[in-house]
Amino acid sequence: MKHMRALNKKAARIEDYVASRTEDVVAMQDRPSSQQRPHVPMGCALMFTPGWEVDAAGGTAGLCQPVERDIYDCFVSCYWPAQVPDHLNNAPDWAAKCASATKDWRNLDLVFP
Amino acid sequence: MAISRLTILAASCAALAGFASAGTLYLPAYPAAVLVFDEAKAQIVDRIPLETGTPMSIRLSPDHKKIYVTTIDHNGIEVIDVATRKVINHFVLNTPTKQYRFFQGTPDPEGKLFYAVTKEITKFPEHYEVAKPKYTVIDLAQQKIVKTIDIPKEEEAQNQGDYGVGWIEISPDGKYLYQFGEKITILQASDFKVLDHIDLAQPDAPGMENVHFGSDLDLINSPGEHTGMFVWSDPIVHNRVFGLARFDLTTKQIDFKPIGPAPSGMAGIEVTPDKKWAYTVVSNGIHGNKRCEFWAFDLTSDRITQKAEVPCRTRFTLGISTDGKKLYIYGAGFDIEVYDAATLKYEKTWDLNNDVTYAGIVVIP
Repeated sequence: MKHMRALNKKAARIEDYVASRTEDVVAMQDRPSSQQRPHVPMGCALMFTPGWEVDAAGGTAGLCQPVERDIYDCFVSCYWPAQVPDHLNNAPDWAAKCASATKDWRNLDLVFP
Repeated sequence: MAISRLTILAASCAALAGFASAGTLYLPAYPAAVLVFDEAKAQIVDRIPLETGTPMSIRLSPDHKKIYVTTIDHNGIEVIDVATRKVINHFVLNTPTKQYRFFQGTPDPEGKLFYAVTKEITKFPEHYEVAKPKYTVIDLAQQKIVKTIDIPKEEEAQNQGDYGVGWIEISPDGKYLYQFGEKITILQASDFKVLDHIDLAQPDAPGMENVHFGSDLDLINSPGEHTGMFVWSDPIVHNRVFGLARFDLTTKQIDFKPIGPAPSGMAGIEVTPDKKWAYTVVSNGIHGNKRCEFWAFDLTSDRITQKAEVPCRTRFTLGISTDGKKLYIYGAGFDIEVYDAATLKYEKTWDLNNDVTYAGIVVIP
């Protein structure tokens, strides 16, 4: 079907729309489909999903209890670099002296931006 | 199977602790270790330090003699000898200009190669370029990637990198790889050529972990088989049914044993070693309305025999003891909650004093 081309503006818009659904760059606010999803390079880009304070519904019931249980899974892989230090690039040893975040959080290293 | 068996002395200790026969749990932990937990003593008996960073995945070799761990800090692989509990091989893939990310992987039967899906990130003076995930062959002796192959378009759905990559198994002769997702893809191990597909249905479980065609059922796996839970729907009315499936890695035959209608959220399934009982955690609702229940199944009659409400952790993994008499809930924290499998009642909490990662655990009888 590659020999077919859009002849008017509406057809061109449809063509652009179809292309936008298949190209590698997609808007972050788009609802991810199973075929194409925005990728977050190395997990260290900005992540605007809720952090410690609220869950995706705006409440706290969906958070780990206590919140320290969630520290490492947010730190490792650089998942929430705005809320916790960046594990992969700038602060890999942030938690090196702290085996249990809930109990030993005072041993977490200090990180200055 | 050359698995270290407990002695009579250990067995008597197990009986004292309430276990008829206890095993050993290998738990990947922060910041860079694998904890060795003795079920009978209910305590950490050893700690295997890792050289390359925080463990992100763990799996047992088919002969149960080695444990393969991948780490995230510099994208490393570590091989642990089960008998000595020592790291016998470790290396990282990262270079100053290239980083890699692991997504699933399996060693070959001889332990020489590691087949994986990886994503390569190349650092340039002013930007990074992130490549699409690729099939990857890593030589464990040379400690480097020896081959990468582009993933065909039709296989991208189950190789989406950060959004999920299907579990990979290898045939006993090392010739074929199987990737489990919405379908089972059969690949030629030498060049990752897609040979065939077996269509399946993908279980969906919002907010829950480890729901897949099974990495969790090592306890009942026979050599050359892969046993796990999967969800199946018929093509006419799309009625979803879950059950246990046994996939023969040599003949490629599936033996599917349906259990019942699939709930919306299931935290995997665990089966007792005698294959008579199965357990799962079912969740309904989200956030503040989320409620979880243990379901117990009698596999001899394919019936649900018992249900009991269990407190929902936001993120957790279901596990089972080596004798099938205790159920474990762990993950996102430093403890393991122990429940009695017969009554589904809470018994106690084992304090590991160390946060474990979400890499899963290895259970060795």
